[in-house]
Amino acid sequence: MIFNSIRARLQIWYGLILLVILAGFGITAYALERGHLLGRINSELERRANFLANSLHPNHGPGRGPEGDDAPLDRPPPGDFPEDGPPENRLGGPPRLHLAPQAAGLFDAGDPNNFYFLMFSHDGRIVQRSTNAPAEALSTADRIVHQPPPEDRRAGENHAVHPRNFAIKGDRIEYKLEMPLGGAFVVGCSLAPELLGLRMVAVKLTVAGGVILLLGLGGGWWLASRAIRPIEDISATASKISAGDLAQRISLADTESELGRLATVLNSTFARLESAFAQQQQFTSDAAHELRTPVTVILTQTQLSLSRERSPAEYRQTLETCQRAAQRMRRLIESLLALARLDAGQETMKRLKFDLATVIRDCADLVQPLAADREVTVLLEVQPLECTGDSERIAQVLTNLLTNAIHYNRPQGKVRVSTELQNGSAVITVRDTGLGIAAEDLPRVFERFYRSDKSRTSGGHGLGLSICQAIITAHGGTMEVASEAGVGTSFTVRLPVG
Amino acid sequence: MRLLIVEDEPDLLASMAQALREEGYAVDTAAEGEDGLFKAESVDYDAIILDVMLPQMDGWTVLKNLRRAKKTPVLMLTARDQSRDRVKGLDTGADDYVVKPFDLPELFARLRALIRRSANRTTNQLEIGRVVIDTAARTVTLDTKPVEITAREYALLEYLALHRGEVVTRATLYEHLFGDDDDTLSNLLDVHVSNLRKKLGHEFISTRRGHGYCIE
Repeated sequence: MIFNSIRARLQIWYGLILLVILAGFGITAYALERGHLLGRINSELERRANFLANSLHPNHGPGRGPEGDDAPLDRPPPGDFPEDGPPENRLGGPPRLHLAPQAAGLFDAGDPNNFYFLMFSHDGRIVQRSTNAPAEALSTADRIVHQPPPEDRRAGENHAVHPRNFAIKGDRIEYKLEMPLGGAFVVGCSLAPELLGLRMVAVKLTVAGGVILLLGLGGGWWLASRAIRPIEDISATASKISAGDLAQRISLADTESELGRLATVLNSTFARLESAFAQQQQFTSDAAHELRTPVTVILTQTQLSLSRERSPAEYRQTLETCQRAAQRMRRLIESLLALARLDAGQETMKRLKFDLATVIRDCADLVQPLAADREVTVLLEVQPLECTGDSERIAQVLTNLLTNAIHYNRPQGKVRVSTELQNGSAVITVRDTGLGIAAEDLPRVFERFYRSDKSRTSGGHGLGLSICQAIITAHGGTMEVASEAGVGTSFTVRLPVG
Repeated sequence: MRLLIVEDEPDLLASMAQALREEGYAVDTAAEGEDGLFKAESVDYDAIILDVMLPQMDGWTVLKNLRRAKKTPVLMLTARDQSRDRVKGLDTGADDYVVKPFDLPELFARLRALIRRSANRTTNQLEIGRVVIDTAARTVTLDTKPVEITAREYALLEYLALHRGEVVTRATLYEHLFGDDDDTLSNLLDVHVSNLRKKLGHEFISTRRGHGYCIE
């Protein structure tokens, strides 16, 4: 699904956020523009209404004295008008407003806004109107749309309290100026030009917003693609690696960004993976190699034997050869399995208390025939030392070390085994007086299948020390080797006592 | 044909040597690289089977040192079957490469091919007049009739046939037909030559007095 792609999701979020911002901006701009236009209209309406109100008294009918600003409408006290009589009757004669010529121009039908006015008596009847005025004023229930700006309010301060009423309906707006003593002027106009202008503004804003949105989406796509590209590199490399090419690395010029650091971490993981894999491969290849030789012996020997009739003695010899090869394979397989189990942590070590000195003595007894055969003396300098662990496994390690020490010793050589307690660890040292191990071989003696003499004549398969080390490690101990050419080699095993 | 086997696994060495002897080759053995190199340099073997993993001096070193002095065909024997090992072996001067474990018949076939190539031949059939020698089947026919022949006689015949037209000295024949372990009576060669003449015709092998034998 496309919506599962990070890029698409980023893009959708970009788009939504951009849309919200643009919409907010557009609506605000539109509202400001509308407010501005309406404000202008409103102050215009107010101005005209005030003008009307001010022009009322000089043009008032006879009998009216200029008693004040609001005098013309103030004069008739409430209740003075009969229910059926229009107030203008009370004012004597048709209460016509006499507008100055410039005032009349204010309500000219030729104006695009088509300003008009209506004059109401205190009982709500229309007493006078401009020629272009509609039949009815807008209901006062219609929405009050605007409070005039403060500077306009100042203009109204000349008058008494003016409840200001703006009503808007369709494209009409009206301002109602109530006189304190009843009656009111309603000045209105058409909003058509403003609404048209506003519509143009809206169209322009929408078009501009759309363009910006498109640009933003394009830019967002580009940015997202740019941001995603390292991820795609990583993904491509990872798929190559999962396809088996472990040598692949993510190439990133920028190593400081978050993705760069991720790539660095991944690269080092891949490197470790590769080396672990190579090690595993080496191990498998070594194991196969070790198994190949005895298989070759069996194959060759049996094919030779079966190629013609043989004497019983020859058949016996063939069988003996095959047996030797098979035993060698068995030893190797056992060692490989032991290592595999130790590696997998499946080999559980017993946690029992045992005396290290007893175990060492038993091992020494075990290798005594070999030592005698090689004319090597095994010397024990051990004291009772209680250890916790798997005594059989420890014995296996010690037997292996002792066998090696005897095997690689010189005739009339010595093997010294000593124990001591050091910082809560039992330290066992097995020293021989052999030829020693070459310095370049020393770091590799614990490597699997590593044999310093690189041949099979010693009878070992190169796993003994690896197994020893694995056993000691499983006990939480360590194993070290030191050697001096011509003097001898010493293996040191440290086992935690507790 | 005289071969040298250099292999450190004693059981394998013994069985290979026995198998090749039963195939009619004279076989020398060495269990170490240095010993192998010494023998390879001092005797003109028809082919050498050389194990790669040897104590002290490994097979690569033996091969490198040998190639300075001799062109003896060398068949490398190894448990390593990775491509880079094979490439290394062939580049170092090995003529063939056999991976353990191998089948004896394949080893024999590769040895025959190796020896055939070193004698600049392309088939296993050697035709000399009425006599046809099949080096793969190790059989000899005279006028398409099979001839009963012993392994040693065959080896002598094959060697002379491979060096047809050349005079082969008695010393060379001794060197190529008898291994270090063979009891070589001085007149054994004459007995074999005489037997071959009885079976294939007196003129088939000519004697160059004081030099050696020759198949024209």
